Amino acid sequence: MATGFLTDTTVCIGCKACEVACKQWNQIPADGYELTGDSYDNTKQLSGTTWRHVAFIENPKKQRKLTGDVDLLALAEDVHQTLPGGAELDGLGRWTFMSDVCKHCVEAACQQACPTGAIIRNEFDNVYIQPDVCNGCGYCVPACPYGVITQVPEDGRVFKCTLCYDRQRDGLEPACAKACPTNSIMFGDVEELKQVAAERVATLHAKGYENAYIYGTPEIGGTGGINGDHSKFILMDEPETYNLPAHPFLPQAKVKGGFVASAVAATVLGAVVALAFRD
Amino acid sequence: MADVTQETRQQQNGKIETSHHPETDSQRKDKYYYGIPPIKRAHWTWQIPIYFWIGGISAGVQLFTTLANVLGHKDEALTRIGRYTALVTMILSPILLIWDLGRPERFYNMMRIWKLRSPMSNQSWALVVYGNLAGLIAARQAAEDGLLGRGLLPRLVARLVPARFLSVLALPVALFVGSNTGTLLSATSVPIWARNWMLMGPTFLASGVSTALSYLSLVLHLGHWGEKKTHHVLRRAERATLLIEAGLIAASLVRMSRWSKPLFSREIAPLFVGGTLLGGIAAPLALLSGKETRGKSMFTSTLVLLGGLALRFAMVQAGRKSADDPEAYFTFARGENAPQPEDKI
Repeated sequence: MATGFLTDTTVCIGCKACEVACKQWNQIPADGYELTGDSYDNTKQLSGTTWRHVAFIENPKKQRKLTGDVDLLALAEDVHQTLPGGAELDGLGRWTFMSDVCKHCVEAACQQACPTGAIIRNEFDNVYIQPDVCNGCGYCVPACPYGVITQVPEDGRVFKCTLCYDRQRDGLEPACAKACPTNSIMFGDVEELKQVAAERVATLHAKGYENAYIYGTPEIGGTGGINGDHSKFILMDEPETYNLPAHPFLPQAKVKGGFVASAVAATVLGAVVALAFRD
Repeated sequence: MADVTQETRQQQNGKIETSHHPETDSQRKDKYYYGIPPIKRAHWTWQIPIYFWIGGISAGVQLFTTLANVLGHKDEALTRIGRYTALVTMILSPILLIWDLGRPERFYNMMRIWKLRSPMSNQSWALVVYGNLAGLIAARQAAEDGLLGRGLLPRLVARLVPARFLSVLALPVALFVGSNTGTLLSATSVPIWARNWMLMGPTFLASGVSTALSYLSLVLHLGHWGEKKTHHVLRRAERATLLIEAGLIAASLVRMSRWSKPLFSREIAPLFVGGTLLGGIAAPLALLSGKETRGKSMFTSTLVLLGGLALRFAMVQAGRKSADDPEAYFTFARGENAPQPEDKI
């Protein structure tokens, strides 16, 4: 059975409990106390020592004039209704949160790049780095189309989300999913989660949120060669808003082509050098 | 802000200036998610571009000396230099590569498996094969040169190691090492490298051959070695190879299109335009067409060698810049630009 995450960003409240739970369970070192001033995001990005990262997106897309009495509570809840005096309520736009994590790609670029075989697919079909094998060559780092896998300089090796391999083996759900108070992070069988995601998106569409969609399925948007992700997301905006690529691609798809082109070039260069030997 | 009147505050109400979001804060120039790169760059330090350079030289030297041998061109100095060079480069390469590992003591894990899909894995195995062949060939040369003494073993080595056969065997592996340094870069998510997947290997190989010819010419001149014909052939081959290299770089730039921008940035342009294009290709081509003197030839060779080194550094640096640029990656990963499995070209 393949397991994975479904992160429903529409119910995320940005509490960062997932970040904390992840750090605590996996005993990952702290990243320091830098204040970025970028909304409430002081974590910035996923890294070798941050396997869950909550993004804070202040989305000012809908810039409309507010007139008349403004019901701040309704405003915050993004309620759509006509108010007396033609007042509009969605003037503030949304403040979006999204808990990012390793996508556990169906065809993982990091796993294909790894020359030592340290990165494997385990029995839950998750992409897992064997820490006792990794020698820190760092080739998986630029290969990852999501910028997830990262080297920890103090350690030398690369690290990323293990999808709590140890907890799964004991029949527990990953720490982040367990800690999530709004069930924004769901864990389970990939096929079941696909169903849940489809239903949730249908509900959102019915409520008038036409822009909700599932990110990480091959059906929606070409995930060129990656074949979708085991950790999917329900998003409400362009993928780039969440720092995600619209169409991630598999870099190794072209290794054979590069090899053939190089063989042709080698033949031509050999012929040219051989010709120089003529009297 | 005490001086803001109720009226202006109400006007601003619809056009909220949120704290520091790139889209509302006109003072911020970073785009997308606070300008944070969506992909991570490689950590590789100076050892890697130097290895790319040395590996290219090794491949080119193997190509030239093997061809000379096969085509019946006899030059003992050339053969000797070729064989010792292959050995030295194949000792330096693994040292540089292992040095750059996060856990150098685990380098042998590269030999756990062989993965055709991973250019890094292919590269490691090619180095093992080529390194061992180069070692055997160099041992025979050393035995013939009397460097191993006069014992039974050196005599056996000199007699039993089929150096000519082995160098023909080593040639394709060496050429693979030379080109795969480029292919290795292209099999990543970095736009400037991935976009040019077809020509990265050929460009690096052409540059490897041109630097190798210059290296041979320089060393032969330094030692006052080599037949007259060797120098003549080297010069002729150098001219042709530099032209091919220039063509491949031009085609690469066309292919990279807008994602080639980092190569012309303020930090990398001196290296790429000044070092490689002008210093390493244009100037040597001009110098090679005139009359040949020893000093001039050595100067030309040095230029080509430095130009090749500059190319490796420029490409690796440009990859870092390209990976750090959210705009480059997002435009690349949207639509038709990124390599797709069904792509033919």
